[in-house]
Amino acid sequence: MDFQGIHDRLRACNAPGLLGIDLPRGPDPKDKKDKGRAGDPFVLVEPSKLASFLTVCRDDERLSFEMLIDLSAVDPAKEDPNFWVVVSLLSVQRKHRLQIKCVLPKSQASLPSTVPVYRASQWHERECAEMFGIRFEGHPDPRNILLPDDWVGHPMRKDYEFPKEYHGISCE
Amino acid sequence: MAVTPSQAAPHHGDPQPTDAQRAARKGAQHAPGTPLSQFGAERVLPSGEREVALDVRTSDMEINFGPQHPATHGVMRVLMRTDGELVTGAQPHLGYLHRCAEKIGESVEWLQYLPYTDRYDYLAAMNNNLAYSMAVEALLGVPIPRRAEMLRVICAELNRIGSHLVAIGTYGLDIGAFTPFFYAFREREWMMALFEKICGARLTYSYIRIGGVFNDAPVGWLEDVARFCDTFEEKWQEYFDLLMVNQIFIKRTANIGVISKEMAFDFGLTGPMLRGSGVDWDLRRDLPYSLYGEICRDKAFGIPIARGEMGQLGDCWDRAWVRTVEMMESVKIVRWCLQHIEPGPVLGDIPKTLRVPVGEVYVGIENPRGELGHYVVSDGGKIAIRVRVRGPSFTNLAVVEELLPGALVGDAIAIIGSTDIVVGETDR
Repeated sequence: MDFQGIHDRLRACNAPGLLGIDLPRGPDPKDKKDKGRAGDPFVLVEPSKLASFLTVCRDDERLSFEMLIDLSAVDPAKEDPNFWVVVSLLSVQRKHRLQIKCVLPKSQASLPSTVPVYRASQWHERECAEMFGIRFEGHPDPRNILLPDDWVGHPMRKDYEFPKEYHGISCE
Repeated sequence: MAVTPSQAAPHHGDPQPTDAQRAARKGAQHAPGTPLSQFGAERVLPSGEREVALDVRTSDMEINFGPQHPATHGVMRVLMRTDGELVTGAQPHLGYLHRCAEKIGESVEWLQYLPYTDRYDYLAAMNNNLAYSMAVEALLGVPIPRRAEMLRVICAELNRIGSHLVAIGTYGLDIGAFTPFFYAFREREWMMALFEKICGARLTYSYIRIGGVFNDAPVGWLEDVARFCDTFEEKWQEYFDLLMVNQIFIKRTANIGVISKEMAFDFGLTGPMLRGSGVDWDLRRDLPYSLYGEICRDKAFGIPIARGEMGQLGDCWDRAWVRTVEMMESVKIVRWCLQHIEPGPVLGDIPKTLRVPVGEVYVGIENPRGELGHYVVSDGGKIAIRVRVRGPSFTNLAVVEELLPGALVGDAIAIIGSTDIVVGETDR
Protein backbone atom coordinates (compact mmCIF):
# COMPACT_ATOMS: atom_id res chain seq x y z
CA MET A 1 0.00 0.00 0.00
CA ASP A 2 1.20 3.52 -0.67
CA PHE A 3 1.09 6.28 1.93
CA GLN A 4 -2.34 7.52 0.85
CA GLY A 5 -3.78 4.02 1.12
CA ILE A 6 -2.30 3.55 4.60
CA HIS A 7 -3.67 6.90 5.73
CA ASP A 8 -7.15 6.12 4.39
CA ARG A 9 -7.09 2.79 6.15
CA LEU A 10 -6.02 4.44 9.42
CA ARG A 11 -8.94 6.88 9.07
CA ALA A 12 -11.31 4.04 8.27
CA CYS A 13 -10.42 2.09 11.40
CA ASN A 14 -10.49 5.22 13.60
CA ALA A 15 -6.88 4.90 14.73
CA PRO A 16 -6.70 6.64 18.12
CA GLY A 17 -4.74 9.88 18.28
CA LEU A 18 -4.37 10.38 14.51
CA LEU A 19 -4.01 14.14 14.06
CA GLY A 20 -3.16 14.55 10.40
CA ILE A 21 -0.46 14.12 7.81
CA ASP A 22 2.72 15.94 6.87
CA LEU A 23 3.44 15.54 3.17
CA PRO A 24 6.52 16.62 1.24
CA ARG A 25 5.72 19.60 -0.95
CA GLY A 26 7.34 21.95 -3.45
CA PRO A 27 8.19 25.56 -2.66
CA ASP A 28 5.31 28.01 -2.38
CA PRO A 29 5.54 30.37 -5.43
CA LYS A 30 3.86 33.22 -3.51
CA ASP A 31 6.21 33.06 -0.54
CA LYS A 32 9.85 33.55 -1.50
CA LYS A 33 11.14 32.37 1.87
CA ASP A 34 9.28 29.07 1.69
CA LYS A 35 11.49 26.34 0.27
CA GLY A 36 9.01 23.48 0.51
CA ARG A 37 9.88 20.20 2.12
CA ALA A 38 11.55 17.12 0.66
CA GLY A 39 11.55 13.56 1.94
CA ASP A 40 9.04 11.16 3.44
CA PRO A 41 5.37 11.67 4.22
CA PHE A 42 4.55 11.39 7.94
CA VAL A 43 1.41 10.77 9.94
CA LEU A 44 1.08 13.01 12.97
CA VAL A 45 -0.07 11.30 16.14
CA GLU A 46 -0.94 12.58 19.58
CA PRO A 47 1.89 11.47 21.91
CA SER A 48 -0.38 10.31 24.73
CA LYS A 49 -2.12 7.87 22.33
CA LEU A 50 0.98 6.62 20.51
CA ALA A 51 0.88 3.17 22.12
CA SER A 52 -2.77 2.56 21.22
CA PHE A 53 -2.15 3.93 17.73
CA LEU A 54 0.68 1.44 17.26
CA THR A 55 -1.56 -1.37 18.49
CA VAL A 56 -3.99 -0.60 15.65
CA CYS A 57 -1.13 -0.47 13.15
CA ARG A 58 0.12 -3.85 14.31
CA ASP A 59 -3.21 -5.65 14.61
CA ASP A 60 -5.15 -4.33 11.63
CA GLU A 61 -5.15 -6.98 8.95
CA ARG A 62 -4.62 -4.65 6.00
CA LEU A 63 -1.93 -2.58 7.68
CA SER A 64 -0.19 -5.48 9.50
CA PHE A 65 2.91 -3.61 10.63
CA GLU A 66 4.65 -6.51 12.33
CA MET A 67 7.83 -4.64 13.07
CA LEU A 68 8.89 -1.48 14.79
CA ILE A 69 12.08 -0.60 12.97
CA ASP A 70 13.07 2.55 14.75
CA LEU A 71 12.02 4.92 17.49
CA SER A 72 13.95 8.09 18.10
CA ALA A 73 13.53 11.76 18.85
CA VAL A 74 14.59 15.06 17.34
CA ASP A 75 15.31 18.36 19.04
CA PRO A 76 14.68 20.68 16.08
CA ALA A 77 16.25 23.83 17.57
CA LYS A 78 17.26 25.42 20.84
CA GLU A 79 14.36 27.88 20.66
CA ASP A 80 11.81 25.30 19.55
CA PRO A 81 9.37 24.49 22.36
CA ASN A 82 8.83 20.94 21.12
CA PHE A 83 10.55 17.61 20.62
CA TRP A 84 9.54 15.22 17.86
CA VAL A 85 9.31 11.54 18.60
CA VAL A 86 9.63 9.64 15.34
CA VAL A 87 8.64 6.02 14.83
CA SER A 88 9.29 3.91 11.77
CA LEU A 89 7.16 0.84 11.11
CA LEU A 90 7.59 -1.91 8.56
CA SER A 91 5.21 -4.53 7.27
CA VAL A 92 6.83 -7.67 5.94
CA GLN A 93 3.57 -9.13 4.71
CA ARG A 94 2.35 -6.02 2.86
CA LYS A 95 5.79 -4.64 1.97
CA HIS A 96 5.17 -1.10 3.10
CA ARG A 97 6.60 1.36 5.57
CA LEU A 98 5.09 4.10 7.71
CA GLN A 99 6.76 7.04 9.42
CA ILE A 100 4.99 8.40 12.47
CA LYS A 101 5.71 11.68 14.17
CA CYS A 102 4.59 12.93 17.58
CA VAL A 103 5.14 16.53 18.58
CA LEU A 104 5.88 16.66 22.29
CA PRO A 105 6.29 19.85 24.38
CA LYS A 106 9.73 20.10 25.98
CA SER A 107 8.17 21.40 29.18
CA GLN A 108 6.29 18.14 29.63
CA ALA A 109 8.30 15.57 27.76
CA SER A 110 6.59 12.36 28.69
CA LEU A 111 4.51 9.79 26.86
CA PRO A 112 3.34 6.24 27.52
CA SER A 113 5.85 3.51 26.72
CA THR A 114 5.29 1.47 23.57
CA VAL A 115 7.08 -1.62 24.90
CA PRO A 116 3.78 -3.51 25.51
CA VAL A 117 3.08 -3.22 21.77
CA TYR A 118 6.54 -3.87 20.30
CA ARG A 119 9.34 -5.18 22.49
CA ALA A 120 11.75 -3.80 19.88
CA SER A 121 11.18 -0.34 21.30
CA GLN A 122 12.61 -1.27 24.69
CA TRP A 123 16.19 -0.30 23.91
CA HIS A 124 15.23 2.52 21.55
CA GLU A 125 13.18 4.13 24.31
CA ARG A 126 16.00 3.79 26.79
CA GLU A 127 18.35 5.51 24.38
CA CYS A 128 15.79 8.20 23.63
CA ALA A 129 15.19 8.80 27.34
CA GLU A 130 18.85 9.26 28.25
CA MET A 131 19.74 11.32 25.19
CA PHE A 132 16.75 13.71 25.24
CA GLY A 133 15.29 13.43 28.71
CA ILE A 134 11.97 12.17 27.41
CA ARG A 135 10.11 10.04 29.94
CA PHE A 136 8.44 6.85 28.74
CA GLU A 137 5.81 6.10 31.37
CA GLY A 138 5.63 2.47 32.32
CA HIS A 139 8.90 1.39 30.70
CA PRO A 140 9.94 -1.94 32.28
CA ASP A 141 13.65 -1.15 32.57
CA PRO A 142 14.26 2.61 32.56
CA ARG A 143 18.03 2.66 33.00
CA ASN A 144 20.63 4.37 30.86
CA ILE A 145 21.79 2.20 28.00
CA LEU A 146 24.73 3.89 26.28
CA LEU A 147 25.67 6.52 28.86
CA PRO A 148 27.11 5.79 32.31
CA ASP A 149 24.55 5.71 35.10
CA ASP A 150 25.84 8.93 36.66
CA TRP A 151 25.88 11.03 33.48
CA VAL A 152 24.52 14.53 33.97
CA GLY A 153 22.32 16.08 31.28
CA HIS A 154 20.86 14.85 28.01
CA PRO A 155 23.52 15.09 25.29
CA MET A 156 21.33 15.12 22.19
CA ARG A 157 19.41 18.21 23.29
CA LYS A 158 20.44 21.29 21.39
CA ASP A 159 20.89 23.26 24.63
CA TYR A 160 23.25 20.65 26.11
CA GLU A 161 26.43 22.05 27.60
CA PHE A 162 29.45 19.83 27.31
CA PRO A 163 30.91 18.90 30.68
CA LYS A 164 34.21 20.42 31.74
CA GLU A 165 35.35 17.25 33.43
CA TYR A 166 34.19 13.73 34.15
CA HIS A 167 35.34 12.00 37.36
CA GLY A 168 38.38 14.25 37.57
CA ILE A 169 39.32 13.77 33.89
CA SER A 170 39.42 17.04 32.01
CA CYS A 171 37.30 17.08 28.86
CA GLU A 172 38.75 20.25 27.39
CA MET B 1 30.89 1.32 36.94
CA ALA B 2 30.55 -0.89 39.99
CA VAL B 3 27.74 -3.40 39.95
CA THR B 4 25.95 -4.21 43.12
CA PRO B 5 23.80 -7.33 43.38
CA SER B 6 20.67 -5.19 43.56
CA GLN B 7 21.43 -3.83 40.07
CA ALA B 8 22.15 -7.23 38.71
CA ALA B 9 20.21 -9.20 36.20
CA PRO B 10 16.52 -9.61 36.89
CA HIS B 11 15.09 -13.08 37.23
CA HIS B 12 13.87 -14.62 34.05
CA GLY B 13 12.55 -18.06 33.40
CA ASP B 14 13.42 -20.49 36.17
CA PRO B 15 12.01 -19.90 39.62
CA GLN B 16 14.74 -19.09 42.08
CA PRO B 17 15.13 -20.81 45.46
CA THR B 18 14.08 -18.48 48.24
CA ASP B 19 16.59 -17.34 50.83
CA ALA B 20 14.98 -19.61 53.42
CA GLN B 21 15.36 -22.65 51.16
CA ARG B 22 18.97 -21.79 50.47
CA ALA B 23 19.72 -21.41 54.16
CA ALA B 24 18.05 -24.72 54.92
CA ARG B 25 20.10 -26.46 52.24
CA LYS B 26 23.31 -24.91 53.47
CA GLY B 27 22.53 -25.88 57.04
CA ALA B 28 21.84 -29.44 56.03
CA GLN B 29 25.18 -29.72 54.27
CA HIS B 30 27.07 -28.60 57.31
CA ALA B 31 25.29 -30.55 60.00
CA PRO B 32 27.17 -33.81 60.63
CA GLY B 33 25.22 -37.00 60.52
CA THR B 34 22.40 -35.66 58.37
CA PRO B 35 20.81 -38.55 56.46
CA LEU B 36 21.62 -38.45 52.76
CA SER B 37 17.92 -38.45 51.87
CA GLN B 38 17.92 -34.88 53.09
CA PHE B 39 19.65 -33.90 49.85
CA GLY B 40 17.40 -35.54 47.30
CA ALA B 41 15.27 -38.46 46.23
CA GLU B 42 16.34 -41.88 47.47
CA ARG B 43 15.59 -45.27 45.97
CA VAL B 44 16.75 -48.84 46.46
CA LEU B 45 18.34 -50.50 43.45
CA PRO B 46 17.66 -54.21 42.60
CA SER B 47 21.10 -55.04 43.99
CA GLY B 48 20.00 -53.74 47.36
CA GLU B 49 22.22 -50.68 47.21
CA ARG B 50 20.77 -47.28 48.03
CA GLU B 51 20.93 -44.57 45.37
CA VAL B 52 20.53 -40.94 46.31
CA ALA B 53 20.07 -38.36 43.59
CA LEU B 54 21.92 -35.44 45.09
CA ASP B 55 20.46 -32.02 44.63
CA VAL B 56 23.46 -30.20 43.27
CA ARG B 57 21.86 -26.80 42.98
CA THR B 58 24.44 -24.20 43.89
CA SER B 59 23.95 -20.67 45.02
CA ASP B 60 23.50 -18.02 42.37
CA MET B 61 26.59 -16.46 40.97
CA GLU B 62 26.97 -13.29 38.97
CA ILE B 63 29.48 -13.39 36.16
CA ASN B 64 30.71 -10.50 34.13
CA PHE B 65 31.06 -11.78 30.60
CA GLY B 66 33.30 -9.14 29.05
CA PRO B 67 33.91 -6.27 28.46
CA GLN B 68 37.23 -7.71 27.30
CA HIS B 69 36.14 -11.11 26.10
CA PRO B 70 36.88 -12.29 22.56
CA ALA B 71 33.38 -13.68 22.10
CA THR B 72 31.76 -10.28 22.63
CA HIS B 73 33.30 -9.18 19.29
CA GLY B 74 34.28 -5.82 20.67
CA VAL B 75 33.87 -4.20 24.02
CA MET B 76 30.60 -5.26 25.52
CA ARG B 77 29.68 -6.65 28.90
CA VAL B 78 26.93 -9.12 29.64
CA LEU B 79 26.15 -9.50 33.30
CA MET B 80 24.96 -13.06 33.74
CA ARG B 81 23.35 -14.65 36.74
CA THR B 82 24.10 -18.33 36.81
CA ASP B 83 22.94 -21.26 38.84
CA GLY B 84 25.73 -23.75 38.27
CA GLU B 85 25.94 -24.16 34.50
CA LEU B 86 22.53 -22.64 33.93
CA VAL B 87 22.09 -19.00 33.02
CA THR B 88 19.11 -17.60 34.91
CA GLY B 89 19.38 -13.96 33.93
CA ALA B 90 21.35 -11.80 31.54
CA GLN B 91 21.74 -8.11 31.10
CA PRO B 92 23.87 -6.62 28.31
CA HIS B 93 25.67 -3.42 29.27
CA LEU B 94 26.58 -1.29 26.28
CA GLY B 95 28.27 2.00 25.78
CA TYR B 96 31.95 1.09 26.07
CA LEU B 97 32.43 2.03 22.43
CA HIS B 98 30.05 4.97 22.33
CA ARG B 99 31.58 7.69 20.13
CA CYS B 100 28.63 10.10 19.88
CA ALA B 101 28.17 9.48 16.13
CA GLU B 102 24.71 11.04 16.14
CA LYS B 103 25.90 14.17 17.94
CA ILE B 104 28.82 14.49 15.54
CA GLY B 105 26.29 14.19 12.71
CA GLU B 106 24.69 17.45 13.79
CA SER B 107 28.02 19.22 14.29
CA VAL B 108 29.85 18.64 10.99
CA GLU B 109 28.91 19.29 7.38
CA TRP B 110 27.01 16.72 5.34
CA LEU B 111 30.03 15.52 3.36
CA GLN B 112 32.32 15.59 6.38
CA TYR B 113 30.13 13.12 8.22
CA LEU B 114 30.77 10.35 5.68
CA PRO B 115 33.99 9.01 7.29
CA TYR B 116 32.15 8.62 10.60
CA THR B 117 29.72 6.23 8.96
CA ASP B 118 32.64 3.89 8.25
CA ARG B 119 33.08 3.47 11.94
CA TYR B 120 29.78 2.09 13.06
CA ASP B 121 29.89 -1.33 11.51
CA TYR B 122 33.56 -1.36 10.62
CA LEU B 123 33.28 -4.77 8.97
CA ALA B 124 30.89 -3.42 6.35
CA ALA B 125 31.99 0.17 5.85
CA MET B 126 30.97 0.23 2.18
CA ASN B 127 27.40 -0.61 3.08
CA ASN B 128 27.37 2.09 5.74
CA ASN B 129 28.64 4.66 3.24
CA LEU B 130 25.92 3.58 0.85
CA ALA B 131 23.20 3.89 3.48
CA TYR B 132 24.19 7.40 4.50
CA SER B 133 24.76 8.58 0.93
CA MET B 134 21.36 7.27 -0.11
CA ALA B 135 19.63 9.07 2.75
CA VAL B 136 21.20 12.40 1.79
CA GLU B 137 20.56 11.77 -1.91
CA ALA B 138 16.89 11.12 -1.13
CA LEU B 139 16.64 14.72 0.09
CA LEU B 140 18.86 16.13 -2.66
CA GLY B 141 17.08 14.28 -5.44
CA VAL B 142 20.21 14.05 -7.59
CA PRO B 143 20.59 11.39 -10.28
CA ILE B 144 23.40 8.88 -9.79
CA PRO B 145 25.45 7.87 -12.85
CA ARG B 146 24.85 4.28 -13.86
CA ARG B 147 28.48 3.23 -13.64
CA ALA B 148 28.60 4.63 -10.11
CA GLU B 149 25.56 2.53 -9.17
CA MET B 150 27.29 -0.54 -10.60
CA LEU B 151 30.46 0.12 -8.63
CA ARG B 152 28.38 0.74 -5.53
CA VAL B 153 26.62 -2.59 -5.82
CA ILE B 154 29.88 -4.44 -6.54
CA CYS B 155 31.58 -2.89 -3.50
CA ALA B 156 28.59 -3.37 -1.22
CA GLU B 157 28.29 -7.03 -2.15
CA LEU B 158 32.02 -7.69 -1.87
CA ASN B 159 31.89 -6.10 1.56
CA ARG B 160 28.93 -8.27 2.46
CA ILE B 161 31.04 -11.33 1.59
CA GLY B 162 33.89 -9.99 3.71
CA SER B 163 31.59 -9.25 6.60
CA HIS B 164 29.95 -12.67 6.52
CA LEU B 165 33.38 -14.31 6.31
CA VAL B 166 34.29 -12.65 9.59
CA ALA B 167 30.89 -13.52 10.99
CA ILE B 168 31.12 -17.25 10.37
CA GLY B 169 34.89 -17.40 10.90
CA THR B 170 34.74 -15.84 14.34
CA TYR B 171 31.57 -17.74 15.13
CA GLY B 172 33.49 -20.96 14.62
CA LEU B 173 36.29 -19.55 16.73
CA ASP B 174 33.85 -18.68 19.53
CA ILE B 175 32.70 -22.23 19.85
CA GLY B 176 36.04 -23.91 19.36
CA ALA B 177 36.63 -24.38 15.63
CA PHE B 178 39.96 -22.71 15.02
CA THR B 179 40.72 -23.51 11.38
CA PRO B 180 37.77 -21.96 9.50
CA PHE B 181 38.73 -18.61 10.97
CA PHE B 182 42.04 -18.63 9.08
CA TYR B 183 40.39 -19.83 5.89
CA ALA B 184 37.86 -17.00 6.16
CA PHE B 185 40.51 -14.38 6.74
CA ARG B 186 42.49 -15.61 3.73
CA GLU B 187 39.64 -14.66 1.36
CA ARG B 188 38.84 -11.52 3.30
CA GLU B 189 42.43 -10.42 2.86
CA TRP B 190 41.99 -10.65 -0.91
CA MET B 191 38.75 -8.69 -0.69
CA MET B 192 40.51 -5.98 1.33
CA ALA B 193 43.31 -5.86 -1.22
CA LEU B 194 40.69 -5.22 -3.90
CA PHE B 195 39.30 -2.35 -1.87
CA GLU B 196 42.77 -1.02 -1.26
CA LYS B 197 43.28 -0.86 -5.00
CA ILE B 198 40.08 1.02 -5.64
CA CYS B 199 40.12 3.50 -2.78
CA GLY B 200 43.39 3.20 -0.89
CA ALA B 201 41.90 2.03 2.40
CA ARG B 202 41.52 -1.44 3.82
CA LEU B 203 38.90 -1.00 6.48
CA THR B 204 37.35 2.48 6.54
CA TYR B 205 36.78 3.23 2.91
CA SER B 206 34.60 6.36 2.52
CA TYR B 207 34.51 5.28 -1.12
CA ILE B 208 30.81 5.57 -1.81
CA ARG B 209 30.08 9.29 -1.69
CA ILE B 210 27.01 11.44 -1.91
CA GLY B 211 26.30 11.59 -5.65
CA GLY B 212 28.24 8.52 -6.74
CA VAL B 213 31.59 6.99 -5.87
CA PHE B 214 34.92 8.66 -5.16
CA ASN B 215 36.79 7.53 -8.27
CA ASP B 216 36.59 5.06 -11.11
CA ALA B 217 37.96 1.55 -10.81
CA PRO B 218 41.62 1.35 -11.81
CA VAL B 219 42.63 -0.55 -14.96
CA GLY B 220 42.27 -4.28 -14.49
CA TRP B 221 40.29 -4.02 -11.27
CA LEU B 222 37.10 -5.50 -12.66
CA GLU B 223 39.07 -8.47 -13.99
CA ASP B 224 40.56 -8.89 -10.52
CA VAL B 225 37.06 -8.95 -9.06
CA ALA B 226 36.05 -11.59 -11.60
CA ARG B 227 39.03 -13.71 -10.56
CA PHE B 228 38.09 -13.26 -6.93
CA CYS B 229 34.56 -14.48 -7.69
CA ASP B 230 35.87 -17.59 -9.46
CA THR B 231 38.22 -18.49 -6.65
CA PHE B 232 35.67 -17.71 -3.98
CA GLU B 233 33.12 -20.06 -5.49
CA GLU B 234 35.64 -22.90 -5.20
CA LYS B 235 36.67 -21.99 -1.68
CA TRP B 236 33.14 -21.51 -0.46
CA GLN B 237 32.57 -25.24 -0.48
CA GLU B 238 35.46 -25.56 1.96
CA TYR B 239 33.74 -23.40 4.53
CA PHE B 240 30.55 -25.25 4.11
CA ASP B 241 32.22 -28.63 4.56
CA LEU B 242 34.51 -27.48 7.30
CA LEU B 243 31.97 -25.70 9.43
CA MET B 244 28.33 -25.96 8.47
CA VAL B 245 28.11 -29.72 8.14
CA ASN B 246 30.68 -30.44 10.81
CA GLN B 247 29.10 -32.67 13.44
CA ILE B 248 30.67 -30.80 16.35
CA PHE B 249 29.47 -27.48 14.98
CA ILE B 250 25.99 -28.84 14.47
CA LYS B 251 25.88 -30.22 18.01
CA ARG B 252 26.94 -26.87 19.40
CA THR B 253 24.45 -24.79 17.41
CA ALA B 254 21.39 -26.84 16.41
CA ASN B 255 18.38 -26.35 18.70
CA ILE B 256 20.26 -23.65 20.62
CA GLY B 257 18.90 -20.12 20.96
CA VAL B 258 15.70 -20.71 19.01
CA ILE B 259 13.99 -17.52 17.84
CA SER B 260 10.46 -18.01 16.61
CA LYS B 261 9.02 -15.96 13.79
CA GLU B 262 6.74 -14.03 16.17
CA MET B 263 9.62 -13.26 18.49
CA ALA B 264 11.74 -12.05 15.58
CA PHE B 265 8.97 -9.65 14.54
CA ASP B 266 8.37 -8.49 18.10
CA PHE B 267 12.03 -7.67 18.64
CA GLY B 268 12.36 -6.01 15.23
CA LEU B 269 15.12 -8.36 14.08
CA THR B 270 16.34 -7.84 10.54
CA GLY B 271 18.76 -9.37 8.07
CA PRO B 272 20.10 -12.89 8.59
CA MET B 273 18.55 -12.98 12.07
CA LEU B 274 15.09 -12.61 10.53
CA ARG B 275 15.74 -14.95 7.61
CA GLY B 276 17.24 -17.41 10.09
CA SER B 277 13.78 -17.60 11.67
CA GLY B 278 12.24 -18.54 8.34
CA VAL B 279 10.89 -15.13 7.30
CA ASP B 280 11.19 -14.47 3.59
CA TRP B 281 12.29 -10.84 3.71
CA ASP B 282 15.16 -8.99 2.12
CA LEU B 283 15.07 -5.26 1.44
CA ARG B 284 17.14 -5.74 -1.70
CA ARG B 285 14.27 -7.64 -3.26
CA ASP B 286 11.18 -6.46 -1.39
CA LEU B 287 11.77 -2.71 -1.24
CA PRO B 288 14.49 -2.46 -3.90
CA TYR B 289 16.95 0.41 -4.02
CA SER B 290 19.93 1.25 -6.23
CA LEU B 291 20.14 -1.38 -9.00
CA TYR B 292 18.70 -4.24 -6.98
CA GLY B 293 15.27 -3.94 -8.58
CA GLU B 294 16.82 -4.55 -11.98
CA ILE B 295 18.98 -7.40 -10.70
CA CYS B 296 15.90 -9.01 -9.15
CA ARG B 297 13.96 -8.75 -12.41
CA ASP B 298 16.78 -10.69 -14.06
CA LYS B 299 16.45 -13.24 -11.24
CA ALA B 300 20.20 -13.01 -10.79
CA PHE B 301 20.20 -13.89 -7.12
CA GLY B 302 18.15 -15.71 -4.53
CA ILE B 303 17.37 -15.10 -0.88
CA PRO B 304 18.33 -18.00 1.38
CA ILE B 305 15.63 -18.68 3.96
CA ALA B 306 16.31 -21.02 6.85
CA ARG B 307 14.30 -24.23 6.95
CA GLY B 308 15.42 -25.66 10.27
CA GLU B 309 17.40 -28.43 8.63
CA MET B 310 19.48 -29.44 11.63
CA GLY B 311 16.98 -28.78 14.38
CA GLN B 312 14.25 -26.36 15.25
CA LEU B 313 13.65 -23.47 12.87
CA GLY B 314 15.37 -20.31 14.08
CA ASP B 315 18.28 -21.88 15.96
CA CYS B 316 21.89 -20.72 15.86
CA TRP B 317 22.75 -23.15 13.05
CA ASP B 318 20.05 -21.65 10.82
CA ARG B 319 21.43 -18.15 11.27
CA ALA B 320 24.97 -19.28 10.47
CA TRP B 321 23.64 -21.18 7.44
CA VAL B 322 21.85 -18.11 6.09
CA ARG B 323 25.07 -16.10 6.29
CA THR B 324 27.11 -18.80 4.61
CA VAL B 325 24.71 -19.27 1.70
CA GLU B 326 24.19 -15.53 1.31
CA MET B 327 27.84 -15.13 0.38
CA MET B 328 27.28 -17.17 -2.78
CA GLU B 329 24.26 -15.05 -3.69
CA SER B 330 26.43 -11.95 -3.33
CA VAL B 331 28.91 -13.48 -5.76
CA LYS B 332 26.07 -13.86 -8.27
CA ILE B 333 25.14 -10.18 -7.88
CA VAL B 334 28.76 -9.14 -8.42
CA ARG B 335 28.86 -11.32 -11.56
CA TRP B 336 25.70 -9.68 -12.90
CA CYS B 337 27.26 -6.24 -12.40
CA LEU B 338 30.50 -7.29 -14.08
CA GLN B 339 28.49 -8.39 -17.11
CA HIS B 340 26.45 -5.19 -17.32
CA ILE B 341 28.96 -2.50 -16.35
CA GLU B 342 29.73 0.11 -19.00
CA PRO B 343 32.10 3.07 -19.09
CA GLY B 344 30.79 6.41 -17.94
CA PRO B 345 31.05 9.06 -15.25
CA VAL B 346 31.14 7.90 -11.63
CA LEU B 347 30.34 11.04 -9.66
CA GLY B 348 27.42 13.39 -10.14
CA ASP B 349 27.68 17.15 -10.00
CA ILE B 350 27.91 17.68 -6.25
CA PRO B 351 29.28 20.96 -4.83
CA LYS B 352 32.06 20.86 -2.23
CA THR B 353 29.87 22.64 0.29
CA LEU B 354 26.60 20.85 0.22
CA ARG B 355 23.32 22.52 1.13
CA VAL B 356 20.63 19.90 1.51
CA PRO B 357 17.00 20.96 0.89
CA VAL B 358 14.65 21.29 3.84
CA GLY B 359 13.13 17.97 4.70
CA GLU B 360 13.35 14.75 6.60
CA VAL B 361 13.67 11.23 5.32
CA TYR B 362 14.18 7.70 6.56
CA VAL B 363 16.16 5.38 4.30
CA GLY B 364 16.88 1.82 5.29
CA ILE B 365 19.03 -0.59 3.32
CA GLU B 366 20.02 -4.23 3.70
CA ASN B 367 23.38 -4.34 5.45
CA PRO B 368 25.12 -7.65 6.18
CA ARG B 369 23.70 -7.53 9.70
CA GLY B 370 20.23 -6.29 8.86
CA GLU B 371 18.51 -3.04 8.13
CA LEU B 372 20.76 -0.02 8.54
CA GLY B 373 18.53 3.03 8.58
CA HIS B 374 19.36 6.68 8.52
CA TYR B 375 16.76 9.24 9.52
CA VAL B 376 18.13 12.61 8.50
CA VAL B 377 16.57 16.02 9.05
CA SER B 378 17.74 19.12 7.22
CA ASP B 379 16.76 22.77 7.61
CA GLY B 380 18.34 23.71 4.30
CA GLY B 381 21.73 24.50 5.79
CA LYS B 382 25.24 23.10 5.58
CA ILE B 383 24.82 21.01 8.73
CA ALA B 384 22.18 18.42 9.56
CA ILE B 385 19.60 18.99 12.28
CA ARG B 386 19.55 15.30 13.10
CA VAL B 387 21.28 12.18 11.85
CA ARG B 388 19.65 9.20 13.47
CA VAL B 389 21.37 5.88 12.91
CA ARG B 390 19.30 2.76 13.27
CA GLY B 391 21.97 0.10 13.62
CA PRO B 392 20.92 -3.51 13.06
CA SER B 393 23.34 -4.83 15.69
CA PHE B 394 21.71 -2.68 18.35
CA THR B 395 18.25 -4.12 17.79
CA ASN B 396 19.48 -7.64 17.13
CA LEU B 397 21.40 -7.72 20.41
CA ALA B 398 18.28 -6.91 22.45
CA VAL B 399 17.00 -10.43 21.83
CA VAL B 400 19.91 -11.84 23.87
CA GLU B 401 18.23 -10.67 27.08
CA GLU B 402 15.41 -13.00 26.22
CA LEU B 403 17.39 -15.94 24.80
CA LEU B 404 20.08 -16.40 27.45
CA PRO B 405 17.96 -17.22 30.53
CA GLY B 406 17.52 -20.97 30.51
CA ALA B 407 20.59 -21.64 28.37
CA LEU B 408 23.84 -23.20 29.56
CA VAL B 409 26.90 -21.00 30.02
CA GLY B 410 28.63 -22.70 27.08
CA ASP B 411 25.62 -22.09 24.88
CA ALA B 412 25.57 -18.44 25.88
CA ILE B 413 28.68 -17.95 23.75
CA ALA B 414 27.01 -19.72 20.85
CA ILE B 415 23.92 -17.53 21.18
CA ILE B 416 25.76 -14.21 21.44
CA GLY B 417 28.01 -15.21 18.55
CA SER B 418 25.05 -16.12 16.37
CA THR B 419 23.60 -12.59 16.67
CA ASP B 420 26.77 -11.45 14.87
CA ILE B 421 26.98 -8.04 16.46
CA VAL B 422 29.61 -5.44 15.82
CA VAL B 423 29.93 -3.34 18.94
CA GLY B 424 30.87 -0.27 16.92
CA GLU B 425 27.31 -0.34 15.67
CA THR B 426 25.48 -1.18 18.88
CA ASP B 427 27.14 1.78 20.57
CA ARG B 428 27.73 4.05 17.57
